[in-house]
Amino acid sequence: MSNFVGLLQNENMKIYRRSSAKVMMIILLGLILAAGLIIRFGSDQPKSDPHWKQTLIQDNKVNQKQLAQMKGNKQVANYLKKTIAINKYRIEHNLKPSPGETIWNFMEDAAGNLILVISVFTIIVVSTSIASEFDTGTIKLLLIRPIYRTEILLSKYISALLFTVVCLITLFIASWLLGGLLFGFGGVNEAHLVYDHGTVYQSSWTLAIWKGYLLNCVSLFMTVTFAGLIASVFRNGGLAIGLSIFTMMASSIVITLLGRYDWVKYVLFANTDLTQYTTGTPIRDEMTLGFSLAVLAVYYILFIFIGWAFYTRRDIKA
Amino acid sequence: MANNAEAAAQPAVRLEHVSKKIGRKTIIDDLSFDIYGGEVFGFLGPNGAGKTTTIRMIVGLMRMTQGNIYIQGHSIKGDFKQAIRQVGAIVENPEMYKFLTGYQNLIHYARMIPGISKERILEVIKLVELQGRIHEKVKHYSLGMRQRLGVAQALLHHPSVLILDEPTNGLDPQGIHDLRNYLHNLSREEHVAIIVSSHLLSEMQLMCDRIGIIQKGKLIGVETVNDFIEKGSSKVRIQVDDGRLAAQTVKDKLAIDAVFIDDTTLEVPVEHEKIPVVVDTLVVSKIKIYSVIAVAKSLEDRFLEVTGGKSVE
Ligand SMILES: Nc1ncnc2c1ncn2[C@@H]1O[C@H](COP(=O)(O)OP(=O)(O)OP(=O)(O)O)[C@@H](O)[C@H]1O
Ligand SMILES: [Mg+2]
Repeated sequence: MSNFVGLLQNENMKIYRRSSAKVMMIILLGLILAAGLIIRFGSDQPKSDPHWKQTLIQDNKVNQKQLAQMKGNKQVANYLKKTIAINKYRIEHNLKPSPGETIWNFMEDAAGNLILVISVFTIIVVSTSIASEFDTGTIKLLLIRPIYRTEILLSKYISALLFTVVCLITLFIASWLLGGLLFGFGGVNEAHLVYDHGTVYQSSWTLAIWKGYLLNCVSLFMTVTFAGLIASVFRNGGLAIGLSIFTMMASSIVITLLGRYDWVKYVLFANTDLTQYTTGTPIRDEMTLGFSLAVLAVYYILFIFIGWAFYTRRDIKA
Repeated sequence: MANNAEAAAQPAVRLEHVSKKIGRKTIIDDLSFDIYGGEVFGFLGPNGAGKTTTIRMIVGLMRMTQGNIYIQGHSIKGDFKQAIRQVGAIVENPEMYKFLTGYQNLIHYARMIPGISKERILEVIKLVELQGRIHEKVKHYSLGMRQRLGVAQALLHHPSVLILDEPTNGLDPQGIHDLRNYLHNLSREEHVAIIVSSHLLSEMQLMCDRIGIIQKGKLIGVETVNDFIEKGSSKVRIQVDDGRLAAQTVKDKLAIDAVFIDDTTLEVPVEHEKIPVVVDTLVVSKIKIYSVIAVAKSLEDRFLEVTGGKSVE
């Protein structure tokens, strides 16, 4: 097993010594910085509203009207219901909404959007790690060591996931630091209001942010594994990168279009976005969190098995 | 052949009826041979004969369709780790990680086999004389330097079987000379079994003890280099007082087509064992002999003869 640590060190060296790794880190930090600066200075931060209760009552009237006129679109209806319920809760419990952006909003938004970017980066890393050695021919010298191909593949997969962890930690720290500097570190104790099946309750922001990271990472984890599968089967990094990013981007549109078909719930990408259960708008009504987790598990095992079989069995002709 | 003591020992590498089919095409057809510790075995054959394919099967990069390969008694199929542990190899070009330095590349391979010390890495670097450039990125290396680095990674773990697919490719004359000497020492002093494939036939002649010739995936002969060269129709050049008369005499008495080159020289195409008969005949016929020189065929002549002069099939 001490040998496996060596393998991880090797794969890490091959990931971080490439100039692409540095470029990715710079892009990640650059995006966080740009987002923060645009939000802070791009628009005027609204002033604190002394008559906020009236404003919320007013808002809710508009929302109610819209809701009454709505037919069909469940997602929008659900969003309106949620807004109305939360506004009511604020009025009843005297919880003034903080004006403009806070450190918490910023961190939540950064996680929601930049984990997608981290997915793309990890797809590139895992595909390059697995497939590029076939293009360059280094695979030959790699596989003639007293190490099974299974161990090599596992070390590549794990080191790519470790890269994700490094990116996530960077994202977390950078967005916390920047959010604090731009919007103030205050409001640590501010309540996070959660809307869950018609009721609203208070929760902590820290918990909400962790949950956001976790839920977003499910999708990342599955797409990265998918990229690894394609890279193992076709031994072509470009194909693996292109195909995984394309399916990741296109899937949400396609899945929404196919929402009325019963079988769509068995499609991988109908289940990767687990936030559908926290917002209360699953793609199909009969879907539950448990169902999605089961579907994900089946796909995961399939991906791992097929990728492993191809990587370990086929001749090396490179 | 190798001497008896070695022949009795377990072969370092043993191929048993190895075949490889890709699709319907038979690329390697029933290959069997043994290689022993302490010898340099030359693997010879025209382009596309199947040398690289055979080497890929020996190191487990390709599966064989039939047969088995044993390295120091361990099957590469059934006991991969034990078998491959004995092997250091370059397969085709020594492709290394270009974005890493030479040193980082060696560290990378050293981590994959337990028990390689930092001293050993430095020792190997010195051996291939890359000290001056080892901390530069491999993308800035010349072909010969990459080849040297390739040899270095193959030697890191003191392998008892060394397999080099065209190792002289890209080396300068000094580099080839050094490699030859080094391989010689490895085989003699550390009893390493060395398999070399090369297109430079003259190189093989200087480097190898035995040669296996492969053509269209079939082994058509394993011989010692000397046997290989001397066997078959070799020639002798004889200096005499009267070339014309001597040529005629050989023709008449032995029915051998001797050619007289000039007044005092004739060339007789004759097998090695029959040279004394020719000399005897001339002596009996009272022809004065000043010198007899066996014109050894080069490996190249012999190779073309054996493979029928065809190269790519
Ligand atoms: N993946 C493959 N599919 C089909 N045929 C193949 C494949 N790989 C190799 N071959 C064929 O196998 C034969 C042997 O190839 P190999 O590379 O072993 O030759 P070689 O003796 O090393 O030649 P060279 O001297 O050019 O290096 C060739 O005829 C080649 O066309
Ligand atoms: Mg070859």
